[in-house]
Amino acid sequence: MELANLYQSINLIIPEIVLSIALIVLVIADLIFHTNKKIIPFIAGTGILVTAIFVINQFNYIGFAFSTATHTARSFGMLAVDSFGVFFKLIVIVSSFIIVLLSLASDEIQKTTDRIGEYYALIYGMILGMFFMITATDLILIYLSLELLSLSSYVLAGFTKLRDRNSEASLKYLLYGAVSSGLMLFGISLVYGLTGSTNLYIINTLIQNPHINLFTLSFATILIFAGIGYKISSAPFHFWTPDVYEGAPITITAFLSVASKAAGFALLIRFVKTVFVSYETNEGFWSLIEVFDWQSILVVISILTMTLGNFSALWQNNLKRMLAYSSIAHAGYMLLGLVVLSNQGLIAILIYFMIYLLMNLGAFLVVMLIANKINSEEIDDYNGLGFTSPLLSVSLAIFLISLTGLPPTAGFIGKLYLFIALVDAKMIAVAIIALLNSVVSLYYYVRVLKHMYLVKATASTPSIIPSTSNAILLLVLVVPVLIFGVYFQPLVEFAKDCIVILGI
Amino acid sequence: MTESLLLNLSLLILFLPLLGFTVVLFLGKKFPKLYLFEVGIITTAFLLSVFVLFAKLSYFTAQDIGSSFTWISMSAAPLLGNINIELGIKIDNITAIMLFVVNLISFLVHVFSIEYMHGDKRYTRYFSYLGIFTFSMLGIVLTDNLLMMYIFWELVGLSSYLLIGHWFEKKSAADAAKKAFIVNRIGDIGMFIGILILFTHYKTFSFDIIFQQLSLGNIPFNSEVWLTAAGILVFMGAVGKSAQFPLHVWLPDAMEGPTPVSALIHAATMVAAGVYLVTRIFVMLTADAMLVIAVIGAFTSLVAATIALTQNDIKKVLAYSTVSQLGYMIMSLGVGAYAFAFFHLVTHAFFKACLFLGSGSVIHAMHHEQDIRNMGGLRKKLPITYFTFLISTIAISGVPLTSGFLSKDGILAGTLAFGKLTGHWLIPIMGFTVAMLTAFYMFRLVILTFHSEPRDHHKFEHAHESPFVMAAPLVILAVLSIFIWYTPNPFAPDAGWFMKDWVKTPASVVPVETQFDFMNPSSSGNHSELHREIVHSPLYTEAMHWAHYPAMALSIFLAGMGILVAYLMYQWKKINADKLAEKIKVLYNFSLNKWFLDEVYDATAISGTTNFSKFLSWFDNTIIDGAVNGTAWLGRFFSKLSDMFDTYIVDGFVNFSAFFSGFIGLSFKRLQTGKVQTYIVFVVFAVIILLLFFKPF
Amino acid sequence: MLSIPIEYYLILSAFMFIVGVTGVLIRRNAIVVFMCIELMLNAANLSLVAFSSYHGNPVGQIFVFFVMTVAAAEATVGLAIIIAIFRNKLTVNVDEINIFKW
Repeated sequence: MELANLYQSINLIIPEIVLSIALIVLVIADLIFHTNKKIIPFIAGTGILVTAIFVINQFNYIGFAFSTATHTARSFGMLAVDSFGVFFKLIVIVSSFIIVLLSLASDEIQKTTDRIGEYYALIYGMILGMFFMITATDLILIYLSLELLSLSSYVLAGFTKLRDRNSEASLKYLLYGAVSSGLMLFGISLVYGLTGSTNLYIINTLIQNPHINLFTLSFATILIFAGIGYKISSAPFHFWTPDVYEGAPITITAFLSVASKAAGFALLIRFVKTVFVSYETNEGFWSLIEVFDWQSILVVISILTMTLGNFSALWQNNLKRMLAYSSIAHAGYMLLGLVVLSNQGLIAILIYFMIYLLMNLGAFLVVMLIANKINSEEIDDYNGLGFTSPLLSVSLAIFLISLTGLPPTAGFIGKLYLFIALVDAKMIAVAIIALLNSVVSLYYYVRVLKHMYLVKATASTPSIIPSTSNAILLLVLVVPVLIFGVYFQPLVEFAKDCIVILGI
Repeated sequence: MTESLLLNLSLLILFLPLLGFTVVLFLGKKFPKLYLFEVGIITTAFLLSVFVLFAKLSYFTAQDIGSSFTWISMSAAPLLGNINIELGIKIDNITAIMLFVVNLISFLVHVFSIEYMHGDKRYTRYFSYLGIFTFSMLGIVLTDNLLMMYIFWELVGLSSYLLIGHWFEKKSAADAAKKAFIVNRIGDIGMFIGILILFTHYKTFSFDIIFQQLSLGNIPFNSEVWLTAAGILVFMGAVGKSAQFPLHVWLPDAMEGPTPVSALIHAATMVAAGVYLVTRIFVMLTADAMLVIAVIGAFTSLVAATIALTQNDIKKVLAYSTVSQLGYMIMSLGVGAYAFAFFHLVTHAFFKACLFLGSGSVIHAMHHEQDIRNMGGLRKKLPITYFTFLISTIAISGVPLTSGFLSKDGILAGTLAFGKLTGHWLIPIMGFTVAMLTAFYMFRLVILTFHSEPRDHHKFEHAHESPFVMAAPLVILAVLSIFIWYTPNPFAPDAGWFMKDWVKTPASVVPVETQFDFMNPSSSGNHSELHREIVHSPLYTEAMHWAHYPAMALSIFLAGMGILVAYLMYQWKKINADKLAEKIKVLYNFSLNKWFLDEVYDATAISGTTNFSKFLSWFDNTIIDGAVNGTAWLGRFFSKLSDMFDTYIVDGFVNFSAFFSGFIGLSFKRLQTGKVQTYIVFVVFAVIILLLFFKPF
Repeated sequence: MLSIPIEYYLILSAFMFIVGVTGVLIRRNAIVVFMCIELMLNAANLSLVAFSSYHGNPVGQIFVFFVMTVAAAEATVGLAIIIAIFRNKLTVNVDEINIFKW
């Protein structure tokens, strides 16, 4: 590897380097300020903001990092920097920043003052893992980043240790995750055996060879998909989700449901696009290499995911668990954008993610603020809150309506673009199934509103008024949900700018 | 002075009242002093609009300023194809003047209300409603496309509903609010269909693009009928909002709202929105559409004027006079006297707002007495109110030296020229009749209220002049009713800057053969420019010239006649009004009862529905009780069947799907056993099953 | 040169993998389950090394180093979590760790 190449590569991974430096600073600061740890969250927040600057700088920049340079025409690297990656990095950055703010507001986290440094350090570990996952174009790096993300989140899921439910979530997550990544690793080893390479682009050219053993390739692909599917919690690899989401601290649940899912999606999309697509048609449709029928498998998986998520959510009485199922269902909707295998579908996914970030984090924020006060997430404890806590209830109502996908909220726009992509790809039946699923989801979202607004408040109904800073954070999430529901052109334009995936 | 500054200021003017509305609505309960915030906001908006007006008229006199952004852009929307919806604002001279008028009157009404509404239960809420009303009205004024026009149109409808029903505890107020809303709806449906016709064909809502396409000869669905229909349908929105016959019935009832609201909404601004809409679509009206508009306008003004003759409620008289004057404006647009119509809109806004606020002052002084038969002699008690009221009355009657004379004279000359050119002489005849009637009933109102002897001495004794914040708006508005603001020569409206420099009739863009000859620009006109000013055919210029002096003489004479008769009847009592009424009892009752229109609507539209259902039930009863037992049995059988169908099949289906979903949910939920090894079993099996299903051979 | 055919390695690797998966599914002790997961990883490692020698490029062997590191990290985290749960519940039987369900 040339020195110039190395230098250029380092230029490309500056955000990751900055993040690592921030992580080290965080750990050292944790040691220095061990008596008063108030400063730690601010260091964490600042680090994220500085990283954000470098990520934004990468916009419209294209290149491979750590090229092996041994291959002839194109030199492929371990990492690809492109605007698609930048988009998902921004999603991760924004949600991480909101999670830091959420952690400041969370009683659950604030109680663990002496270990707060570890908490943020582990979150940094997750961010770093996600960053590499988003940009990785090499199976080795994919596996390593996945593990980095997973290991940090196993610990965080059981971080508070207050009740045995935390450690149960942690253990289940660990066993499930370890098995999934074991399956994925076995799949990777098979792909390596078939092609002799771990680079996605080289695999792409090699599997076009007609003599390839298709059965082994399919087996390996399904195993790898099991690993990614576990990250995005798509059925039937979603079983850990409800238990872990319910048991983990709310901040971590929110983080898992947005950032970790975003990174998983970025990986899945990049994996499918770089390994299995031979070329793009003029209309923006992706032409698959005829070795594995991604389209059918994704249709099945996405329908299964949203159906399982929505129907199981019907009976949930714990709001966190309900939101877990709802996030499974949303993964199903977002997979629809990949099902069509077109640029339009990809745009729809990106739009959906921006909106999903706002509404899901918002919903978790409200649940957390309420749990801070009443120490419960049971839906029965929400009775009459609409009368005593207007701001929180109205915000939650807006988030839930947006999650259902009704106008005039942003959630409607997200679904609208997905459905347009489906109809354009002539998959009307799938669109109808998704629509019916939305109808089912209306029931369990509105059920929360029913408890808040139709059950009269009693004397014991607490009045929850968020502090000014929390109220501002809430408004920062609510207002865009409403504005983007009416004026969404900027989202669409931004998404259109971000579909450049390096390669092919 | 740059365009962007002007645009930004206009946007600021638009959104300030919305800010006021939001803040005052949500925090008003906690901080009752916040109404001052709303007043301050309107003051700011008003000052800005003065600035915009002067900037526009002095720096960009002949240039339109606009800006728009893409709201929705879909390259491949299913079924619709390419869609590009732009929202934006456009400021031309008319917009700038309207901004000023709306803000001025809104500002004065805010000030007036501080005292008038003092002590009201929902004081701050009232002010926040004024804020949203002003916002919606400004939106209508500023928009450059039909979509936003429609949105703000409906917002205006909503805020008017809220304001009319401000005292909703009173049943009549609540009913009036409902009536206003529903009647307006009827017109809006037409407008909506019209907009859809245009959108379906042109795939855009923008006025400019539609007009440009039209001027290139691209008419909706290649048919002049569609074009005429679109024009008339959009005009239906104006019929509702500007209270034109036959949808004018809501406006008099809307007087149930607080009087300042009547001044703001039902005299100066909201009802003017309809006229404004027609000025906006003026260039796309065909000859047929214009004729319809002219006839509706003329007829409305006549109907309303005859009703106003006999009303005894001070606000009802003013309401019908408003309907009548709006009819004038619409008629004027219909006959092609575009500039005079807009001129009248502005002058009327000032003197009618003054009249309404004056009546508010009287009502305030008389402790909510509204019947003019119980008033009289108030001249001594309320000198300021009296003089401002008198000046406005002179203006609305069309006496020289007032603004009303200028604009009315122009309209009448326009109708006369129209009559000469097309032979539709009925329109000028109606117009001149209304001129006389207006002078008569307005002076009747003044004489009965302010002159003569007090008839209710108790109330008279307690009457008192209004405080400064109520009197000041009256004075300002009365001063604005003098000719000098509009033209230096009180007998030649065309000579003034208003007509000469600011407001010009735009050239029609419809195909030449579908427009009146005189509306088509002469061949020397410059066709390439979109908003070219009309260069009237010599025919029209000649006709206007011919009509000028006869119209002026006739209108002065008729106004004088009307005033004279009013004095003879009510001041000097030379003619006994009661006896006269007795003599022409039929006509009198017809007028007093508002042409029985409400009764007609009750009998047809409203009770029609009820009667029809009653008839059906009678029909059913006869059949069931009657001789035709078989039919009855069959009927019962079928009703049972449909009942059973409803209970078992329809309800059953609904219940079943709910149950079924729940059942599926339950079974899915059971998969989640809580044991991590079960989950891993699922994963392993999933991998195996997926492999079996998607194996490549 | 006589060498062991790659199929032998692969069969052994597959066998190890199946043993690992089966162990994960049927053993109740969390620590044993964890050991079985390690077995799965090692099966993958074995096939990676075998393929590496088969293709004659070192990528697979490098990968194995990383996997071993990850496995160690995973074991550390895993054991820590198992200890945490043992303190709470006084058991490491995965069947009894089921307060979250349905």
